[in-house]
Amino acid sequence: MKVESRTESTVAAWDGWRWFLPQRVSVFATGLSLFLLLLIGLPVLMVVLMSLRTGFPGETVPYTLENFSSVYSEPRTYEVLLNTLCFAVSSVCITLLITVPLVWILMRTDVPFKKTIYVLLTIGILIPVFLRTIAWILLLSPRIGLINKWLQQLFALSEPPFNLYSIAGMAFVQGISFVPGAFFMLAAAYRSMDPSLEEAAYTSGVGKLRTFLKINIPITLPAIAGVMVYLFMTAIAVFEVPAIIGLPARIHVLSSLIFTSTTPSTGLPDYGMAGAYGAIMLLLGLVLAYLYVRLVKQGKKYTVITGRGYRPREISLGRWRWPALAFVFCYLCIEVFVPFAVLMWASILPYLQLPSADAFANLTLKHYREIPQHVGPQPFINTLILMLAVPTLTMILSVLVSWVVIRTQVSFRGLLDTLAFIPHAVPGILMAVGLAYLGLAYRDIFPIYGTILIIIIAHTINWIAYGTRTTNSVMIQVHRELEEAGRVAGASSARVLWKIVLPLIAAGVLNSWVWIGMLSYREVTMALTLYTRGNVVISTVVWQFWGSGWVPQVAALGVILILFAAVVVGAVRLVLSRIGEIGAAS
Amino acid sequence: MISIRALRKSFRAQHGRVDALRSIDLEVAEGEFCVLLGPSGCGKTTTLRCVAGLERPDAGEIEIAGRLVNSPERRVYMPTERRELGMVFQSYAIWPHMSVFQNVAFPLTQGRTRYSKSDIAERVEKALKRVQLDSLGERPATDLSGGQQQRVAMARAMVTEPKILLMDEPLSNLDARLREQMRVELRKITKSIGVTTLYVTHDQAEALSLGDRVCVMNAGEILQIGPPHDVYQKPASLFVAQFVGEMNFVDGTARAKDLVDSPLGAIAAAVPDSVKPGAAVTLAIRPEHVQIAAASSGGVADTIGKVTSKNYLGDAALLEVEVNGVMLLAKIAGDTKLCVGQQAIVDLPAQRWQVFGQAR
Repeated sequence: MKVESRTESTVAAWDGWRWFLPQRVSVFATGLSLFLLLLIGLPVLMVVLMSLRTGFPGETVPYTLENFSSVYSEPRTYEVLLNTLCFAVSSVCITLLITVPLVWILMRTDVPFKKTIYVLLTIGILIPVFLRTIAWILLLSPRIGLINKWLQQLFALSEPPFNLYSIAGMAFVQGISFVPGAFFMLAAAYRSMDPSLEEAAYTSGVGKLRTFLKINIPITLPAIAGVMVYLFMTAIAVFEVPAIIGLPARIHVLSSLIFTSTTPSTGLPDYGMAGAYGAIMLLLGLVLAYLYVRLVKQGKKYTVITGRGYRPREISLGRWRWPALAFVFCYLCIEVFVPFAVLMWASILPYLQLPSADAFANLTLKHYREIPQHVGPQPFINTLILMLAVPTLTMILSVLVSWVVIRTQVSFRGLLDTLAFIPHAVPGILMAVGLAYLGLAYRDIFPIYGTILIIIIAHTINWIAYGTRTTNSVMIQVHRELEEAGRVAGASSARVLWKIVLPLIAAGVLNSWVWIGMLSYREVTMALTLYTRGNVVISTVVWQFWGSGWVPQVAALGVILILFAAVVVGAVRLVLSRIGEIGAAS
Repeated sequence: MISIRALRKSFRAQHGRVDALRSIDLEVAEGEFCVLLGPSGCGKTTTLRCVAGLERPDAGEIEIAGRLVNSPERRVYMPTERRELGMVFQSYAIWPHMSVFQNVAFPLTQGRTRYSKSDIAERVEKALKRVQLDSLGERPATDLSGGQQQRVAMARAMVTEPKILLMDEPLSNLDARLREQMRVELRKITKSIGVTTLYVTHDQAEALSLGDRVCVMNAGEILQIGPPHDVYQKPASLFVAQFVGEMNFVDGTARAKDLVDSPLGAIAAAVPDSVKPGAAVTLAIRPEHVQIAAASSGGVADTIGKVTSKNYLGDAALLEVEVNGVMLLAKIAGDTKLCVGQQAIVDLPAQRWQVFGQAR
């Protein structure tokens, strides 16, 4: 009867020539890998192609190395490389100078108000980098900066004391912006260090300082080094801070140079040069990515998860808790409170001025009221499309990739995992430029240039690496036997994925979905590079306003952006905490 | 050597306050191997960590080798690294970034006393030899099996020849066979050095075989301290009786000073003085004292029971016998021809019964 026929069909599937057919899972995995290869490989290939051609995209020109020779012979290239390195190194130094003590204070001492501080740290991530940069320009610009004006007034100075338009200024803002992300990375590594390693040193008669130097530091060093390399990789590739602060001051780094080559304010775009610079950046990125992966592997050897649940004893600060709190508070001011306050202040005045009786008389909400007429509905609609489409696409791909990598025995699953991680080594601006070139040069095959679709694709590629890291870790926690029980019960692989695995990882996936939505919403580098009139989003509107000098409008839009992000994230957190599982903050 | 007086400690947990230690008193003599035995959450590890200085008790005094190392009332607290002890952790806590040699040498190279290089090498060799790892000195610590890591941890704990050795369930992560082997070795090593040892475990077989004295704890209190023989044969309370070894329990009523009524008849067992006649009591007898034989012949006065299950263990057999509605566990050396469903004669020697009052 029923049972017999099922047995029959299973036997029939495996005899004769059908034995040699690849399993369904392998076919699926191959298809997925090819798709990813196309998705990620094409833009990267474009960058390489760009560097080997001159002229306009689409023109048939012979391949040539003349872009590289002109790049290497120009002294400006070396100046820009030096700027990039200085900027990157200084930013990372500033970040670590703040983050390492912060992690130590929050995780090893009994400083009060820990929960509140954690929440405020998360809020720091909600303020887009370009808004924070603009806020600090409004404070420390030599010409219009409020702090400069105030200090000049107070001390009757002839020259403004602070100039944000320098590599130091850029490094300051960028360094600060890295702190929340770096904090969560370091904290996670810290948490997986076995506390009994320290206690074993104490019971061996070794004092606290010596234990710190001989045990804590060597064991957490791979993690710290990993974070350093990761930050350095990002610092070399970032665009927003060098563009907003560096460009007006004619300080170029690699990313802003690539940008001005493809979207110059005057003259024609030079994709060839952009490609040549991009190739340098790509090489750097890949080398650093390799280093990062090695460091993470080394770090994993040193982490031991204890089953015990004994936390290392909190060091009581005593009198030192006030300086520690002051340090944390100062940092939070610089990161969160001051930029937000400045933006709010600038948005309610007709023009930027110091607080005074005069200023208070001129307070107005008109910049908020005028937003609809200045901006129109299209940017909001486009941004909404982005916020919904990008995380959905990214998470679907991530779940599928993770499932193949973690759950199947497909032989090339390691390669697939690496493939998903590669976008991380490729700077966002390069991906965008590559995609732009693809859209322009091959517009007959890929008619995506000028549409919101190209931004969606760019964002998806950018965050597949992040998505797969989170789905990997979530999926590892779903014990293999849960799936195997499903297979034993007769369900196919697809059904097991749908009915067993997905519900179990839902909370983690949702968390990342929201997170990527937020990242997409405040992303400006790729949106700007791929910008045309047809795919305006809110971040590009802010950029344009800033470029035109409409300070109050920028501030008003910025405040709305931040408040909206806070509301959305807060609401989702509330919903998720009701479901029960809250994923990590980043 | 170790003196613990009126030790108290409570933790704040999500659901309220947890009293981990409720006034612990313990004296460990020099050279003694004292085992703290109890179920999880009983406070044995907390006691050990207080002696180590890794936890700070709320009240009470701790003295090591005559020196007061902890007293919240007198504001005395000596940090762990000054207490000159050795400790083996449950997770072994072997430092992954050093070799075996460096791990064991660490207390000598980084500790409070300076040793010469040759001295260090000599001591480390001696320590490694004692745990039979002398060929593995240059191996990176991450390249060891569980059993080897455990022995490195022991070598490290003893390399400074401390006055006291603390061990926190060091054998619980090993597989059964290795655990038994290490048990024997551990006792040999600690006795050969003569170090005072405080050992924490939840495994009662381990406690009985290792300790000079066993200290049974539950819910933050010490229920009984004594040589293994006393704790096993004369448990002071119902909890100790059931935690250490297997035990049969039967409810009964005390009729007189040495008579108890029970479903198994009147039993002539000594009733503790605190129990009044007529009060409810619990009778207890060890399975190995339940004599059981085939009901072939025998007098009318014999107690008859029915065998309901049989577990063959190789060197012994565990039988469940039902007598007058009461289920008893009997342990027989070797095997028996009795099978399930058979009738059997059950002999319960009166002197083997113990009586406990019902108020725990």
